[in-house]
Amino acid sequence: MKTICLRTEQIKKRFGGVHALRDGSIEIRSGEVLALVGSNGSGKSTLTKIITGVLSADDGKVIYKGQEVQYSNPMAAQRAGIMAVYQELSLVPSLTVAQNIWLANEFIDKYGFVDDHQMNEKTQELLALFEGTYQSSLHPEAYINALPPDERQIVEILKAISRNPDVLILDEATASLDSEQVKRLFSLVQQLREAGKGLVFVSHRMDEIFQIADRAVVLRNGKTVGDAKIAESSENEIVYMMIGSEAEIAKEPIFKNNIDQRDIVLIAENIRNEKLEEVSFTVRQGELVGIGGLRGQGQSTLLHTLFGNNTYEGHISIFGKSLDFKHPKDAMREDVALIPGDRASEGLLLLRSILENLHLPNWKSYGRPLLNIKKARNDAIHISNQLNLVMASLDSPVSSLSGGNAQKVVIGKWLLRNPRLLLLDDPTKGVDVGTKSEFYKLLQQLIDKGTTILFYSTDDQELLGLCPRILVMHDGGIKADLSGDLLTEANLVAASMGATSNANINKEMSHA
Amino acid sequence: MRKVKKFNLSSWWKRINVKYSIGLSLILLVLSTLIYLVIQPAILRPGTLSRLMTSNFRTWLPVILVTIGQAIVLLGGGLDLSNGSIVSVGNVILALTVITPEEPWKNLLIVLAVIAFGAFAGLINGFFTAYLGLQPVIITFATSFVFSGLALLLLPTPGGAIPREYTDVYRNTDLLGLPISLILIAIFVLIWAFIRKRRYGRFLYAVGGSPSSAYTTGVPVTWMKISTYIISGLLASFAAIAYSLLTGSGFSGSGEDMTLASVTGAVLGGVSMSGGAGSVIGSVFGGIILGNIRNIISTLRLDSWWRTLVNALVIVVALAGPGLVNLIRRNK
Repeated sequence: MKTICLRTEQIKKRFGGVHALRDGSIEIRSGEVLALVGSNGSGKSTLTKIITGVLSADDGKVIYKGQEVQYSNPMAAQRAGIMAVYQELSLVPSLTVAQNIWLANEFIDKYGFVDDHQMNEKTQELLALFEGTYQSSLHPEAYINALPPDERQIVEILKAISRNPDVLILDEATASLDSEQVKRLFSLVQQLREAGKGLVFVSHRMDEIFQIADRAVVLRNGKTVGDAKIAESSENEIVYMMIGSEAEIAKEPIFKNNIDQRDIVLIAENIRNEKLEEVSFTVRQGELVGIGGLRGQGQSTLLHTLFGNNTYEGHISIFGKSLDFKHPKDAMREDVALIPGDRASEGLLLLRSILENLHLPNWKSYGRPLLNIKKARNDAIHISNQLNLVMASLDSPVSSLSGGNAQKVVIGKWLLRNPRLLLLDDPTKGVDVGTKSEFYKLLQQLIDKGTTILFYSTDDQELLGLCPRILVMHDGGIKADLSGDLLTEANLVAASMGATSNANINKEMSHA
Repeated sequence: MRKVKKFNLSSWWKRINVKYSIGLSLILLVLSTLIYLVIQPAILRPGTLSRLMTSNFRTWLPVILVTIGQAIVLLGGGLDLSNGSIVSVGNVILALTVITPEEPWKNLLIVLAVIAFGAFAGLINGFFTAYLGLQPVIITFATSFVFSGLALLLLPTPGGAIPREYTDVYRNTDLLGLPISLILIAIFVLIWAFIRKRRYGRFLYAVGGSPSSAYTTGVPVTWMKISTYIISGLLASFAAIAYSLLTGSGFSGSGEDMTLASVTGAVLGGVSMSGGAGSVIGSVFGGIILGNIRNIISTLRLDSWWRTLVNALVIVVALAGPGLVNLIRRNK
């Protein structure tokens, strides 16, 4: 057995009332690649951030090279030889490639000046590791903000490698790389493994985990639940560890789609843009379709594209009209509404009153030349009763509301418009259980009215509990379209990791 | 074979714009200087040019010094609205205490005390903004009232005096045909060029460009930010010394106009309000451009409301300019 290089014991971390980590225990061994696996909110990122000193743990131990350590900032962890390649890159856009790679690790000449010449040369050597997989625009003196995402990711990887770490954590480092670049990265990882480094590989791609990792540790709900040798394991085994028991039983969602006879109201054909790849699906009138998968696989982009916030190639038709929304107001004219996930920045004017917020998209319907405030107020009262809004009065500012109630205002302002197609972008994120159940009631009312709903949620349980049909997204494409008997947690998780579980294949065969 | 470096105007132009972002300010500098010189009545008479240079640069030095400080704070992603008030305090202390040139050691101590106050004031700003993470606009606006209140407390009505022996040195010394104030500016620019090439300079641009990335990479972000405010405070105290030598007297509102001028000058010089882009030499250019504009207005003997209007317009255009340029680019 290889020597243990870094071990965490029962790490705990809370953010407010949410337990991000309850028991994060992993062993990183020298000369081994450890895959860290888990679905949304399982605590992978939190655990890696604690190891690298970005966050500090509430409880638990980190033992590195035989000693208990506690890094209060990334600097200390780096000095000790722990580096990470971050998913949300740690590059300074206004500096050059070389300046970024050697930031806080500069070559200093004997007079104390930064030796740009030597840094550029060493950067060129590092870039040679990815030779041929990037454009000529990537050179030591290129500015980061002029580079495409894959080249930025390469710089981020080289930056970590340049510090010659003993423990290297790769957090979704392959997400924006193409296959050739991934190949180069893996041969680098191979070299580091042979050099006896401890490597951690976090990825949403099951095939890559099986390609590069020696061992996998699975996290679920902030707890370490399993440990497997990759050579003796299978994709299915890992998927089951991710979800626990009862995974194979087809769920009985609350809502039913009795829509077989209804018209198709939304057709998406081969939608492509920066984040989306060949997305095609159809939705019938009055259907509730869940959108799932790991965070950041293009789900939000899909909804925003349908709403006219993003440009795209391909074809979208809504309510029988081929549409080219250039601005959200075009979508609003067709009674399409988007309820954003980020309430504070996209959905609300925090300092203005609840009444104003509720009516922001609706003032047009209250008459010209003067607004019929009385009617507006009555409608607002009606909707806030319907939403069970807990508030002092309609005139108090939205910032005085709790998170759940603020979210209701976001939903309410679109409900006043009676949308025909409702796009929900992770609406229950950070919302308490009580508000969630009210939100579900609201969904019920909308479905009864015949509203068509696309519902993206990062909470797998919520999707499985509500939606009779789920589109699972992975790397910008739709990996699986689950409904009926196929609608199991195992299939959902397998598809979100880019794997095709056995159950899925069997069922598909029996259907055929 | 020796590599011959050919001078290439377009690549040089690109380089100064990308690396120092001073292309526009260089044009403005040349233009405003030409206009100013053309409208001078006695420009061709011998001695006029050097006389103008001496009188202008000694007037501009205090503002240029606070502008350099402001540029450094802006580069680190902050903003210092209290530098003018620090100048006022320094000026008042000097005017009240420096009396006779017979005791040079005592006066040296006073000067050191003024410098120490500048650094301390900067430390206070840095502590609240960088360490406690409060908004620099609000904090430094608030501390500016604390400092100017202190100045008013020390010297309610204009007064005090700096001995002639000192003021004459500042006003009339020439070295190699250049006024001492211009040489001082050159010295500060050179010192900064020296610092910029060291690790501190690299860290400063990283912190201003993306504090979170700099932090995860291991840059001491908080200390870097605090240090920029201390530098700004120090330069404000130097500005106070220069201002006192220039006017020879004390006034509790002496630095009031310098705050906004320092922001405008830095922005005119290509320093980004959002941090991480620009250069100190650019901010010096910005300071000179502002001085030229003021001189042009007064040479033309325009009514004083013209002066206010043009000053205000310059500020608005300089501050809104980068945003407008982006807007035009995006719509293309």
